[in-house]
Amino acid sequence: MTKLDDLLAYEVVEGLTEGQFTAEEYVISILKRIEEVEPKIHSFITLDTEGALSSAKLIDKKIREKEDIGQLAGVTVGIKDNISTKGIKTTCASKILENYVPTYDATVIRNLKENGAILLGKLNLDEFGMGSTTEYSRYHPTHNPWNLDYVPGGSSGGSGAAVAAGECTVALGSDTGGSIRCPSSFCSVVGLKPTYGRVSRSGLISYANSLEQIGPICRSVKDLVMMLNIISGKDAMDNTSMPSSPITVPNKSNKLNVAVIKELITDSDQEVAKSVYSTSEKFQEIGCSCEEVSIKNLHYALPSYYTLASAEASSNLARYDNIRYGFDYPIGEYKWDTYFSNVRENFGEEVKRRILIGSYVLSSGYYGKYYLKARRLRSLLRLELLTLFKKYDVLIGPTMPILPFKFGEKIDDPIKMYLVDVNTVIANLAGIPAISLPIGFSNGLPIGLQIMAAPFEEQKLIDASYELERVIDIQRRPNLI
Amino acid sequence: MSMVMIGLEIHAQITALNSKLFCSCRGNYRDLRPNRNICEICCGLPGSLPNINQKAIEYSTMTSIALGCKVPDKIMFYRKNYFYPDLPKNFQITQYNVDGISSIGIDGKYELDDSKQIRISRIQLEEDPGRIVYSEGGMNVRNTALIDYNRAGVALIEIVTEPDFTGPREVRQFLNKLSLTLEHLGVCDTLLEGSVRCDVNVSMNGGNKVEIKNINSFKEVEKAINYEITRQSSVYNRNLSIEHETRHWDDKKKITFKARSKEEEHDYRYFPEPDIPVIVLGSDFVANLKERMPELPNQRFERFKLKYKLSEHTSNILINDKKLADFFESTLKLHFSPTEIANILVTDFKSLIENDNESTDYLKNLKVKPEHIAELAKLIEGNKISRITAKDILVKIFESGKLPSEVVNSSNSYKIADEKTIMDAVQSVFDTEKSAVEDAKKNTEAINFLLGKVMKFTNGRADPKIARRLINSKLSDPEKQ
Amino acid sequence: MISKEDLEHLAQISRINLTEYELEKFPKQLDKTIEYIDILGELASDDSVNLDLQELRFEELRTDEIRMSNNKQLNKNITEDGFLRGPKMK
Repeated sequence: MTKLDDLLAYEVVEGLTEGQFTAEEYVISILKRIEEVEPKIHSFITLDTEGALSSAKLIDKKIREKEDIGQLAGVTVGIKDNISTKGIKTTCASKILENYVPTYDATVIRNLKENGAILLGKLNLDEFGMGSTTEYSRYHPTHNPWNLDYVPGGSSGGSGAAVAAGECTVALGSDTGGSIRCPSSFCSVVGLKPTYGRVSRSGLISYANSLEQIGPICRSVKDLVMMLNIISGKDAMDNTSMPSSPITVPNKSNKLNVAVIKELITDSDQEVAKSVYSTSEKFQEIGCSCEEVSIKNLHYALPSYYTLASAEASSNLARYDNIRYGFDYPIGEYKWDTYFSNVRENFGEEVKRRILIGSYVLSSGYYGKYYLKARRLRSLLRLELLTLFKKYDVLIGPTMPILPFKFGEKIDDPIKMYLVDVNTVIANLAGIPAISLPIGFSNGLPIGLQIMAAPFEEQKLIDASYELERVIDIQRRPNLI
Repeated sequence: MSMVMIGLEIHAQITALNSKLFCSCRGNYRDLRPNRNICEICCGLPGSLPNINQKAIEYSTMTSIALGCKVPDKIMFYRKNYFYPDLPKNFQITQYNVDGISSIGIDGKYELDDSKQIRISRIQLEEDPGRIVYSEGGMNVRNTALIDYNRAGVALIEIVTEPDFTGPREVRQFLNKLSLTLEHLGVCDTLLEGSVRCDVNVSMNGGNKVEIKNINSFKEVEKAINYEITRQSSVYNRNLSIEHETRHWDDKKKITFKARSKEEEHDYRYFPEPDIPVIVLGSDFVANLKERMPELPNQRFERFKLKYKLSEHTSNILINDKKLADFFESTLKLHFSPTEIANILVTDFKSLIENDNESTDYLKNLKVKPEHIAELAKLIEGNKISRITAKDILVKIFESGKLPSEVVNSSNSYKIADEKTIMDAVQSVFDTEKSAVEDAKKNTEAINFLLGKVMKFTNGRADPKIARRLINSKLSDPEKQ
Repeated sequence: MISKEDLEHLAQISRINLTEYELEKFPKQLDKTIEYIDILGELASDDSVNLDLQELRFEELRTDEIRMSNNKQLNKNITEDGFLRGPKMK
C-alpha cells in the first residue's frame, strides 16, 4: 500500500470515507513528512500544527457521528502567504507585514474550510508575489525538491515545492504573471491559473488586481479539478468575480484541436523545446490534431505586463503605512514629512523597484506613453487570442522558456529575471485560463507544458491534461530522504 | 468695482444611505465611539475589495438629473493616489472624466432665481476619508494625529461648477437652492454636522485663481468669499499680484490662511480602479429613475400654484421649507382647503416654530399634527371662530396638543355672531372711550381703534365684520340701539 | 535616462526611503526597465480599441443594507479612546 503521506487528495477523501485511516493519522503522517523534509525545502513561513490536528480530530468526530464531512475532508492544504487567513499571520513574505494577523478569511479559505479541508499553514513566496524564484522572500528562499541547489520558481515557490515534496496534499497559489505555473513547472506539479473572475480574489493581498487569480497546485489533474470546483464561483465580496459551471474529470477521451505557439518554442532552451515537441506528438497519438500558430502581439506582452503590474502595485502597496497594522513605531517619530517614507523603507528591493516604476508610468506625462499603450496592447492580445480560440480548443507551449536555474543566477539583473515570465504573462493579460502540466525532465530538472484555453473553458484544459497525464510516464516524487 | 469669478466644488454626503459606498458598515457614523463602524474594506485591510452600493449610484444619478447633467450609459471608477493619514488605502476611489467614459454626471446647468445659469462641469461619486483629530494634550499623544475611520468610505457626491458666480450673493442663492434640491431628493440632510463641505475658487480681474479649502458648512461659504475678495482687493490696491495658491478657511478666526506649499504639489496618478468593472447602467436607467424620482422643488412650486391656486409668495415660503410643505400636503389630505391652510401655516404656524427650525426633524417633535390644522381651518371656514381667536387657539394647541375643538369648548372661544351681544360690547366701549368716539366721528382711521377695543372686550370672539358695521352705524346714529 | 533627481522625486511621491546602496544601483536598473518597456511606443494610439475587459450590470450591485462586522479590525496602536495614531502635520 502507498504510504499515507503519499496519497493524492481524492485518495485521502476515499480512504477516510471508507475508514482505512483517520484524519488524525493522516495529518500526523503529513506533519512527520514536513519534519523530515522541511529543513531542506523551507517552503513554510508559518506552520499551524495545532490547528491542523484539531481540525483533523473534528473530522474524525464527524465521521464517528455520521455527519457530513465535506468534499475535501482530511485533505491538507498549504496556503500561499498572501491569502488572508483569519487568526493566522499573513505576511506576504514581507517585513512590513511580519506581525499582521488578518481579521477575516479570504473567500477561498472559507470555501476550503466549509468543505472539510485542513489548513496546514502558510507557504513562502517572493515578497508580495513579485519575483520568480522566492529569492525575494524577506524570510528565506525555498529550495527545489528535485535539486536543492536550484530555485523552485515563483512567486508561489513555497506552494510548488511543498506539494512536490509531499509536505501537503495540495496547495493554493496566486498567479499574477505566472506565479502558479512557473513553480508548478519548476517543481513538476500541476498548477492552474483560472480565467480572470472565476475565483474570488477577496482576501488575496493584491499585487496587480486586474491580472491575478488564486489557483490550485496539485500532484494530479483529478485533485486539481476537485480544488478548482470548490474555490470557483461568483462572490458578493468581489465585484470582478463571475459565475461558472463546474468542471468534471473526463470519462472518455476528447479529440481536441491543438495549436503550438511557434514563438514560444523557438525562443526556448533546446531541452525545453525538444520536450514540448515530443509532447505535441503525444497529442497526435491520442487522436488530437496539432498545428503551429503564431501570435503577432507576443513581442509586446511582457513590457505591457510589467507596465500594468507595476502601476497597479504602486497603488495597491500604498496602504502599507503602518498605521492600522505593522510593527510598533516609537512615538515621537510620527512626523508628517518622514513617517510614511521611513516606515516604507522596510519594503524589499524588488518591491521598491516595482513601486518606483509603477509611479513612473502613472505620472502625468507618462501615462499615455506607457500605461495606456499597455492597456491597448492587452486588448489587442486578447482579441487576437479569442480569434485563435475560434479555430483551436487549446494553445500549447512551454510554461517556462528555460529549465530551473541555480540560486543567485539572475538576481542581480531585474530584466533577466523578468524575461523568464514571457510565456506565462500572456494568459494574465488576456484573462484566459492556463495550466502547467509536468511533461518530463532534463538532467533531473523538471519541464512543464503550458496549455491555454478561451475564457471559462477550463474544461478543455482539464480534458487535454487528463489525457496527457495518463500517457506521460515520469517520476512523480523527488528523492528527498 | 472689480470683476470676480467664483467656482465651487461641493462635497455632499449621501446621508440617505444605510450603508457605506463600498462596504456594509453604517452610513450614519455619527455619535459612535472611534473606530467602531469599520470593517476590513473601509479600513483598507490587505486583500479587501470594494463592493459598490447600488443605491449610491441611484442617488447620485438623481442628483445629476436634478442639476441638468447628462448621465452616461456606463460609468467607471478611478483611483486618486496620495498619502494622507485619514485615507486608509492611501488612495481614494473616485471618478474621473477621461477616455470617453465619464463620471455619473457631466455638462449640467442649474438656474438661479433671476434665471441666471450656473454651469455644472461634473458630478462624481466617491468615498469620504476618515477623520483626524488633533489632541490638545496628553504626553503620549502629543506628537501624533488621532485617527477615526468611522467616516471612511461614506458615499460622497462631488459637484463641481464652472467659475460662473460673480459674487457671494449668487453663491448663497445657489447653495440654498442646492440644499433644497438635495433635501427634496432625500439625498442629503445638509443640516447634519459635516454632511456638506465646500471648496471655493476665487479670482479677480482675470488674475490667478485662489482655492479655499475646508469650508465645513454652506453658511460659512459666503463669509469665506467675502474675506477673500477683501483680501485680494487689498493685494491689488498695493499693486501686488495674486498668487495661484491654496488657502484654508479658519472658521474660528473667520479668515483664510495660506496652505503649506507641499500640499499643492500633487500628482495624483489617476488610473481606472481595477477592482470595479465598468458599470453598465443601461439606456433606460435614467428614464426609469426619472419616473420614480421624488418631485423637485421647481416642479412642486408649479404644482402648488396650479393645483392649489396659491400665490407665488405663499408657494415660495412653503417650497423653501420642505418639511412645512410636506406638512401642508398632509393637512390637505384631511381637509382640502389649500388657501386657508396655507395661510395658517405660513403666518401664525411658521412664526411659532421659527425659533426652533434648526433641528432637522422639528416637525416630528411638535404636538401639533396635520389633524389639528385641518380642524382649525374647518372652524374658521365654518365661521365658528375668528382668525384672531384662531391664533390664540394655535398657541394653546402648540402647548397642549389638544384638538382645536377641545380648546374652543373649554375656553369658550366660539365666535360671537349674535348682534345683540356684540352691540352690548360696542356700547360699553363707547361708554369708556368717549374721546376716541369723538375722534372717530371725524377721522375714519380711528374706527379701527374702537374695533380693536371691541375685539379685546370680547376676547377676540366677536365677528369683526358685524362689530365694524355696528360701530359705524352707532357713530352715525348714536341713539340707535 | 533617470537621473538621481528623478529617482528622488519618484521615491518622494511613492513615500519610500532608499538606502545608499539602492540610490546607487537603482538608476541604472530602472533605466534598463524603462528602456525595455519603451517598445510600447511602437504601438499605434488606436482609440477604436475597447480597453475594458469586464462589465458589471447595475442590477448585480450590492443592495444598501447594513451588516456590521463583528471582527475586531484594528489591534495596533489604539489609544484609550479608541483612536489610531498617525503622523501629525507640521
